[in-house]
Amino acid sequence: MFKLFLSNLKILTRDRELLFWSLMFPLMFTFIFGFFFGKGSTSTGTIVLVEKAQTPIVENFRKALDESGLFKVQREDDLEKAKDILKKGQAGAVIVVPEKFGEPLPEAPTKIKVIYDPANAQINSAVLSFTNNFLTQVNFQIKNVAPTFSLEEEKTSTNQLGYFDFVLIGLIGMALMNSSIQGIAIGMSKYREDKILKRIVTTPLPSWRFIVSYILARLVINLFQVSLILLIGAYVFGAHLYGNIFLVYLIGLAGAVLFQLIGFAIAGLVKTTAAAEGMATAIAIPMLFLSGVFFPIDTLPKWLYSIVQYLPLAPLLKILRQVALESTSPLENPVNLLIVASWILFCLLFASYKFRLSEE
Amino acid sequence: MPQNVIQVENLKKNYGRLAAVDGISFAVKKNEVFGLLGENGAGKTTTLEIIEGLRKPSAGKISVLGHNLKAGINSVKEKIGVQLQSSAYFNFLTLSEILDLFGSFYPRQLEPSGLLKMVGLEDKAGSYVGKLSGGQRQRFSIVASLVNDPDIVFLDEPTTGLDPLARRNLWGVISKIKEQGKTVILTTHYMEEAEILCDRIAIMEKGKIIAIGDTHKLIESAQKPFKLNFYARISQNCLKELQKLGEIINILGKSNHYEMKLKTQANLNRALRLVQKVEPESLTVGRANLEDLFIELTGKTIQE
Repeated sequence: MFKLFLSNLKILTRDRELLFWSLMFPLMFTFIFGFFFGKGSTSTGTIVLVEKAQTPIVENFRKALDESGLFKVQREDDLEKAKDILKKGQAGAVIVVPEKFGEPLPEAPTKIKVIYDPANAQINSAVLSFTNNFLTQVNFQIKNVAPTFSLEEEKTSTNQLGYFDFVLIGLIGMALMNSSIQGIAIGMSKYREDKILKRIVTTPLPSWRFIVSYILARLVINLFQVSLILLIGAYVFGAHLYGNIFLVYLIGLAGAVLFQLIGFAIAGLVKTTAAAEGMATAIAIPMLFLSGVFFPIDTLPKWLYSIVQYLPLAPLLKILRQVALESTSPLENPVNLLIVASWILFCLLFASYKFRLSEE
Repeated sequence: MPQNVIQVENLKKNYGRLAAVDGISFAVKKNEVFGLLGENGAGKTTTLEIIEGLRKPSAGKISVLGHNLKAGINSVKEKIGVQLQSSAYFNFLTLSEILDLFGSFYPRQLEPSGLLKMVGLEDKAGSYVGKLSGGQRQRFSIVASLVNDPDIVFLDEPTTGLDPLARRNLWGVISKIKEQGKTVILTTHYMEEAEILCDRIAIMEKGKIIAIGDTHKLIESAQKPFKLNFYARISQNCLKELQKLGEIINILGKSNHYEMKLKTQANLNRALRLVQKVEPESLTVGRANLEDLFIELTGKTIQE
């Protein structure tokens, strides 16, 4: 059986094109999300600052803007040019500090102007609230009073986490799901079409050995896949991982087994490779968007959430995030483990009932 | 009397209302090449796949090498080799890796190098199946059925789709297998192939065996064993005389090319004298072949 395992591994790794694309697809997403939300891309966008005055208040304002790290600040002396940059979409907003602003003169203007494109909601709210906050504080200082009410912050986890950390775990789930469901459904259907499965049946080799060695060989590829995503995520884009990495792999591979079983079930249900491809896509794509790969699913309407939380990928991602990001034990919330285990059991029974190497 | 290595009794296979195999019985003797002959859909492949353990019979008894097939399928699988009709092999394993892998499924295993040499593919040991020509692929497919040094080799349409040269090449391989003392059971719809390769044949039609026996004896049993073939201009009178002696047909598309099938030597002699009188451009006398017998039995020729 070891020879069969090795042969399967050779087949999977020698098909360079297939290997490249199956690794490339999730990596492509890792890079895209990494560039948007990974290390060095914390700013929400570019703003243009037009300063017509050079007073201590203006200097403080500029400093606060730079230190916030919220925006990339571009300086421009000419207001018309700044507006042009905004029109071309090269910046999200223009902040105009009028002449004599902050000078202790009665005729000095008291308003900072923010010009923005209403289509760019994210940057607008950030610029407006930042500027507003700054001016409120200045007002307090000038009137020499301390604010009566203020806010106290508390995070659920002391771990420093960002959206990229969230999505990186989602991408691992996506990679495992796609390669396993599609790989098995299409691979096995092709073997059936080529009569390789039938040829295996003519030998004394028990079917289960053929299937198990194939699953194991695929898990090796999955290990490689997960490692690549984690390495690039962590070292290129500074993703944070706080949990037990061994547990992350273990849970990931359990998920891969579950998705492989779904693949076998598909291969058992349909007759041709083309149909297997169609069915695998029809199952994987909705799961990709409804299981929390890119967005937390609790933002979905309640009725939808009550359904999609039971999709195989959803509880798997919850466990993975718990372990990897919050470094809690998967046993702390055993419902998710239970859902995944039930899926594995159900798919195992269904696949062994439906999927046969022989036609009869 | 050689022993029977395969014994099939009253085998039936139904798909819904269709009887793909309809109560056939036959035996295959040790070290013979046994052919199942018939057109597509006659039930040849179904019969073969039931004996190989790939399909379940609806009724009937089968024993292979003394094992009841139902009870002893695993012992049977160890001692048979199977080449499936138009089957492919793993794409990214080399020929010797595939042979080595398949060999590992059996308790007894032959060396890949020796096997490849047997079919002249020793140079291709490190190639993938996808790089082989049609004939090479088919030779590989046959030799892959020998990895366990089987007692019985099943070949399902081993030469279908090959050019004449590659086909002859394969006949050589099959006769080598027989020389090694193995029993070969094959299906084909090529009459010439069956006639040359098979010691015995069973002709199948619509799930039934309509004739079975030693190949040469079957051919001799044709009702019109004599053949006369000639090019000549003959009169209507002469044609009528000839029609009294046997079946005469005008070969398609050629107005003066005729073929006659006759029952007796006496009729052949008379027909010869009549044809010689019109001084034919060409005249040959022959015997019926398997195709003639097949047409006699089924009333049709096999189209590819």
